[in-house]
Amino acid sequence: MNAVLAQADLRDQLVSWEWISRRYDQIWDAAVSHLWLTVFAVVVGFVISVPLAAVALRWRRTYAPIAWVTGFLYTIPSLALFAFLVPILGLGFATAQVALVSYTLLILIRNIVAGVDGVPASVKEAADGMGYSPLRRFVEVDLRLATPTIIAGVRIAAVTIVGLVTITSLVGEGGFGVFILDGLRRSFPTPVVLGVVLSVILAVAIDVALVLVERLLTPWARREVRR
Amino acid sequence: MTDPTVAAGDRSSAIRLVGVEKRFPRAPAPAVDDLNLDIAEGKLVVFVGPSGCGKTTTLKMINRLIEPTAGEIHVLGREIRSIKTSELRRQIGYVIQQIGLFPHKTIADNIATVPKLLRWDKRRIADRVNELVELVGLDPSMLRRYPAELSGGQQQRVGVARALAADPPILLMDEPYSAVDPIVRAHLQDELLALQHRVRKTIVLVTHDIDEAIKLGEEVVIFATGGVVAQHGPPAELLANPASPFVESFLGEERGLKRLSLLRVSDLDLQPGLVVDADADPSTAVQVMKSHGSDWIGVVEGDRLLGWTWLRSLEGCTRVGDAPLDYFRAQVAPDTPLRKVLDGIVNSHTRVAVVVDATDRYLGMITIDHLAEGIR
Repeated sequence: MNAVLAQADLRDQLVSWEWISRRYDQIWDAAVSHLWLTVFAVVVGFVISVPLAAVALRWRRTYAPIAWVTGFLYTIPSLALFAFLVPILGLGFATAQVALVSYTLLILIRNIVAGVDGVPASVKEAADGMGYSPLRRFVEVDLRLATPTIIAGVRIAAVTIVGLVTITSLVGEGGFGVFILDGLRRSFPTPVVLGVVLSVILAVAIDVALVLVERLLTPWARREVRR
Repeated sequence: MTDPTVAAGDRSSAIRLVGVEKRFPRAPAPAVDDLNLDIAEGKLVVFVGPSGCGKTTTLKMINRLIEPTAGEIHVLGREIRSIKTSELRRQIGYVIQQIGLFPHKTIADNIATVPKLLRWDKRRIADRVNELVELVGLDPSMLRRYPAELSGGQQQRVGVARALAADPPILLMDEPYSAVDPIVRAHLQDELLALQHRVRKTIVLVTHDIDEAIKLGEEVVIFATGGVVAQHGPPAELLANPASPFVESFLGEERGLKRLSLLRVSDLDLQPGLVVDADADPSTAVQVMKSHGSDWIGVVEGDRLLGWTWLRSLEGCTRVGDAPLDYFRAQVAPDTPLRKVLDGIVNSHTRVAVVVDATDRYLGMITIDHLAEGIR
């Protein structure tokens, strides 16, 4: 009787610290899994986006179809995408990543293209005139100078993915989303609040980390202009 | 450095254009039409003309930033299509109007761009960067800064240093000074002339400013609209004998003055002028003045020029040297441009400029008549 009452009491509280304190290991595992799902999706998305952006920049006519296809992927509701993918890839990491990666592409490609377009034409012409090969110029000059815009895209993509990972818990890979799903199923607020708060903290932490990465990668932008 | 196989071949002309044509897609007329041009090794050649005359297009065809639609271009004896584009460009320094320094690289790294592409070792690159900083007159403390921290003039010097880094035999400069203010521009132009005196590159410089072309060019190529050469020659020759009304109008007003700015005192046949020795008798001096219709005379002692005196001041003197002497305002050296001599003459009482060398030896006297004869 006491145990049942305690259980009911626990359910009525918004956050039960006792419930949380018994699950530190589980929370740590969820954090690692959430971070891993996010980083994997953004890195794979970036690796796919760079060559696609390069193609779009080199052959301008391909930009519209590339933007159209990735834009289409971006607009598919995630639940609908899972319904489509689960019969093919089953429940698990692959399905989750296909969905997550496809959401990063539009953001990343757009920012890479915009960033490279923003590199002054005179700098590109000088690089060509000095004898850079096209590939070397793209990597060492174009992408390098587009870093601020590209990182801005990575930040948006990463924060978006942190949010989406909570939904991939539906296919069994959810990081903090597992808590949210669990809490919703049992009408038990503590895991829901926990999942939401930790997701937000992770998103902010990744965003701050990327700002620091940008500062490290663009030492020239920090120097004060002295004339 | 220079690939020996590329450097071999025809040594007399560094760059040769044969029947070069460039038609841009959808343009009604060619930008460059059947252009034939020989640019001799070690010369500073200026392409000048109105906008849309194809001068920049021609320049960019030399390093293949623009591909011609017909004709051949030979650089150091080789047809440029037979050389890998990036190899060709690493042998040709390139300076552009907007400078185009790499904002993400320090000044030292900017200068080291081509040596790095050529995989020089670090020691050699560092030595070369220090050498160039001195050559273009930059402060070595700037090497660790980024381009945004430098003034326009300093950036342009870095641009030139970067272009010269791998010691290319050829330097292409596309309107290098049109983005800097007139005072800095004049400085940079003087520096380029001094630099060229030291390094003796084949330089092709594009400008729309005829005065810049006359000042800098050993040879000037005047382009007319449609990419045709209206006239090609040393600037003094162009000014003396413009080939067409177009060239004449493009050379602009004051062609005589422009020619004067190209010639120097040493180009004139110097005359001793209206002078007498300090020990001469005043009556001799008066006679000389009378015969020249003058009311003043210069006074020399040995090979020194002491000054000049009025006819009336000689009264009562036993020798010319005892008269009160005035100094000549317009004193010039053998390397003074004649335009400056003219300026001196019109600002002086005596209407002459006197020439003395670095050791103060008197060489002669220049009048307006001498100038007019000199440019004839």
